[in-house]
Amino acid sequence: MDDREMTGASARRRRRFDGWTLLVWIAGGAVYLFLVVPVLVIILSAFSPNPYPEFPPTEFSLRWFREVFQSEPWMRAIGFSLWLMVIVTALTVALGTTAAYGISRLEFRGKQALLSFMLSPLMIPQVVMGIALLYLFTAMGIIRTMAGLVIGHILVSFPYVIRTVGVSLSNLDPKLERASMSLGAGPVQTFFRITLPLIRPGIVAGGVFSAVTSFGEVSISLFVVSPSNMTVPVRIFNYIDQTFDPSVNAISVLFIAVAVLALIIIERTIGLTKVM
Amino acid sequence: MARTNRTPGAESAGKYRRNLFSWVMLTPGLIFLGAFLAVPFLLLFVISFRDVDNWMNMLPTYSLNQYLEVFTSRFYLHMIWTTLWVAVATTVICIALAYPAAYLLVRAPNRTVRTALYVILVSPLLTSVVIRTFAWIVLLAQNGLVNEVLMKLALISEPLRLLWNLGAVIIAYVQVMLPFAVLPIATSMGEIDPRLRQASMSLGAGRLRTFWKVTLPLTIPGMMSGAIIVFSLAAGSYITPLLVGGRLQPLLPLAIYQQVLQVANLPLGAAMSITLLILVGVLVAGMGLILRRWEGRMHG
Repeated sequence: MDDREMTGASARRRRRFDGWTLLVWIAGGAVYLFLVVPVLVIILSAFSPNPYPEFPPTEFSLRWFREVFQSEPWMRAIGFSLWLMVIVTALTVALGTTAAYGISRLEFRGKQALLSFMLSPLMIPQVVMGIALLYLFTAMGIIRTMAGLVIGHILVSFPYVIRTVGVSLSNLDPKLERASMSLGAGPVQTFFRITLPLIRPGIVAGGVFSAVTSFGEVSISLFVVSPSNMTVPVRIFNYIDQTFDPSVNAISVLFIAVAVLALIIIERTIGLTKVM
Repeated sequence: MARTNRTPGAESAGKYRRNLFSWVMLTPGLIFLGAFLAVPFLLLFVISFRDVDNWMNMLPTYSLNQYLEVFTSRFYLHMIWTTLWVAVATTVICIALAYPAAYLLVRAPNRTVRTALYVILVSPLLTSVVIRTFAWIVLLAQNGLVNEVLMKLALISEPLRLLWNLGAVIIAYVQVMLPFAVLPIATSMGEIDPRLRQASMSLGAGRLRTFWKVTLPLTIPGMMSGAIIVFSLAAGSYITPLLVGGRLQPLLPLAIYQQVLQVANLPLGAAMSITLLILVGVLVAGMGLILRRWEGRMHG
């Protein structure tokens, strides 16, 4: 189907079937358009001075950005979300990297099942995870605290670190670790001197995934968050649910910028195709 | 040191130390998941068998009452049916749209185009689901963009009611989850040896026939893994349906959210959650089985 694959003999066929290729390209293009239009709409609305979106845009203004930066509750929510993100990322990377290393170096019955268990937060219905944690935290007395929020966020970020670090570990040449051991280094020394520096791309990518997951998490947060200390996505949710506030557009643009930045870091460290 | 390592005793001692270290590394993660993933689900399971009094206080007795309520009331059965139907519709549409999108990604004429397509596909996954859903409110609202454009083109005179129905939920779901279907399909498509298609075409099969007989069967693994993710997400989310569908849509995740946070009937909410978990689990396991069978056939 690729033009380069076509040689003299099939040139006739190429003419005959060009219609199909064109159709597939149009269909594919339409799908990408469908994916990108909502994002463009948000960006356009964020830079428009009117409370309601219009197309084509007539004026350019930073009014909604100014409103966000001058709003004390929004800024507090952003600060809280960033603080939470830092804690969650550090803990998830530590827990996830050690667990990914441990499981990759062990051989035992049920290893696959354990790995599926470790990745399961990606598949479990989030509403179910939210209420399970709500019940647990209520029983433990940490409902509506920062600790509960941190635990919930680690839980959903954990599988990403397992995956990215797992990819890095499977790309690692086992001879390097064996060489270190045969030269007299113990497992601890080998891990810190040899393994850790070599799997750094996977750790960085896992950290980026944890950070964006924590920063955008809402499904579990809604069940365990306290009304006085809200994260940005929870605040956005409450806003959309009750009123229509165009400053949400401006906040969204900030989120999209963070996503694109994250994308660049992941691409530079481990490569997008490997982890998605 | 190097010499002693070669003796059998030292060899197994070294192996023992390595294994011990690996277990030590694995333990904190396992304790965390045990405490905050396994324990809460056990708790949920236990609570789902508890009874409540008229004021929604939990009683110390255990029974199957909550499950009886879920499985005998027409209201909840209809809700389970709608939840599955919406998830299946979302999955089927996602897969159908994912094929041309994956084709473009695999066949992108150069690196720049491919990177651009990748950014379009992956950046939504890194953006909060509230924001992606919010975009659909901006588009579909009474005074939203779709209505405005249609009015300007004089195709309609009154704004259409596009939000607050299951159609809006499915559209938003498809857009939010499409990348999860495109990426694995593109991966399997990229792995197909181009000579297979050339062979098929040179033997006289047309493009459509080549797609049905060569490309489609070889991309079934990617398609199934995409379908598993999309289905489990679509069956278990409540944020998107709540924001674009409204509170009254008969969807299980929405009902669980309201049962727990508004009605405060915790055991009924727990029983509904376990029901949802088992439904999704069984269907996902079934799809996983098909996936492994097919992979076995491909490689065996």
